[in-house]
Amino acid sequence: MHEPKQSLPPNVHVGPHSVLIGPQLFRRFFSERDPAVSVGAHCYLEDLQLALGKRAQVSFGDHVFAAGLMLLSEQEIHIGSRVVFSFHVVIADTDFHPLDPAQRILDAIAVSPVPGRLTRPPISTAPVFIEDDVWIGPNVTILKGVRIGAGAFIEPGSLVTRDVPARARVQGNPAQIIGEV
Amino acid sequence: MSVLPDRRVRDDWFDGVVPACVDVDPQAHIESTFSFVPCRARAAHAVQIGRAAHVYSATIFDVGERGVVKVGPFAMLNGVRLVCESRIEIGAYAAISWNVMLMDSYRLPMDPARRRAFVERARGPLHALVDPDAPAQPICLRDNVWLGFDVCVLPGVTIGEGSVVGAGSVVCSDVPAYTLVAGNPARPVRELPRPANAEAP
Repeated sequence: MHEPKQSLPPNVHVGPHSVLIGPQLFRRFFSERDPAVSVGAHCYLEDLQLALGKRAQVSFGDHVFAAGLMLLSEQEIHIGSRVVFSFHVVIADTDFHPLDPAQRILDAIAVSPVPGRLTRPPISTAPVFIEDDVWIGPNVTILKGVRIGAGAFIEPGSLVTRDVPARARVQGNPAQIIGEV
Repeated sequence: MSVLPDRRVRDDWFDGVVPACVDVDPQAHIESTFSFVPCRARAAHAVQIGRAAHVYSATIFDVGERGVVKVGPFAMLNGVRLVCESRIEIGAYAAISWNVMLMDSYRLPMDPARRRAFVERARGPLHALVDPDAPAQPICLRDNVWLGFDVCVLPGVTIGEGSVVGAGSVVCSDVPAYTLVAGNPARPVRELPRPANAEAP
């Protein structure tokens, strides 16, 4: 059943007993950092997608589990140890495009297939930190600049736009604290 | 009839068989045995797929050893993950859209210290991370329920007959019959017309 392993990019470092699976794993991997990706020991990351820009850096601790996790990074996403991501979680540390409408027109031209020397206008990014022992439910989205405290419990389908204190239980869009674990 | 006598599925793109614990009505349609890869149910008849139900290949029966799933007649499962450790019932005429999540258990301890101890010992893919002591509460969708895409239904929820859940909603409490709910968490938006022969509330 298992396909032969593809060779990892040199700036991707995977610890002992860790497994990365995903046909789309490196389809949008453009990071020039080293390490761009570091994965600790005993991680099992199934159907992972790493959409990393040139300056992006992503790290996983030990015993991290995920299925269908998508990381969209232009800066930094840091994931601690024993973090469990349920199915189809998305984390983005960037806004992808400028918020200002005039800047967005320049951005649209810069990313278009029309040849030109226009460079993309500045786009807001902020690192995401997920501390140890966090559980993240299925279909959760975590946006830029968020820090999720140790042991927090993110209910399914939540959209996390602000920091979550340690051991907090959050739910909703936007995610709000509904209790403590 | 899509399940063949050798339990393979007609025109299946995946090389597998329908597990012994799965009963498929001769008039039901199964697109692929891929749907049953994480199905670990032990009991005979643990998964029952009713007459004229249709199950497309993005549907995943992520059923634990003690799980029981019943899919009613004429139900359409267009890409739902059924995370089942106790019981999930889907009534007749259900319409369930893509990337829907029905989960009757969180599968892991809610207490961070206990979760930490469990996760440290765990190996293998995410769907195998099941603490046998984690609580499970059955989910019941009564007849003629429609779930929009990206909906999550949480443990213990019952959705009443004829109700509709808007796309992207998270349902964490019971939904009365003939009610449109939406949002995260889902709240009632309005009542829906009852068929002439439906019982009054």
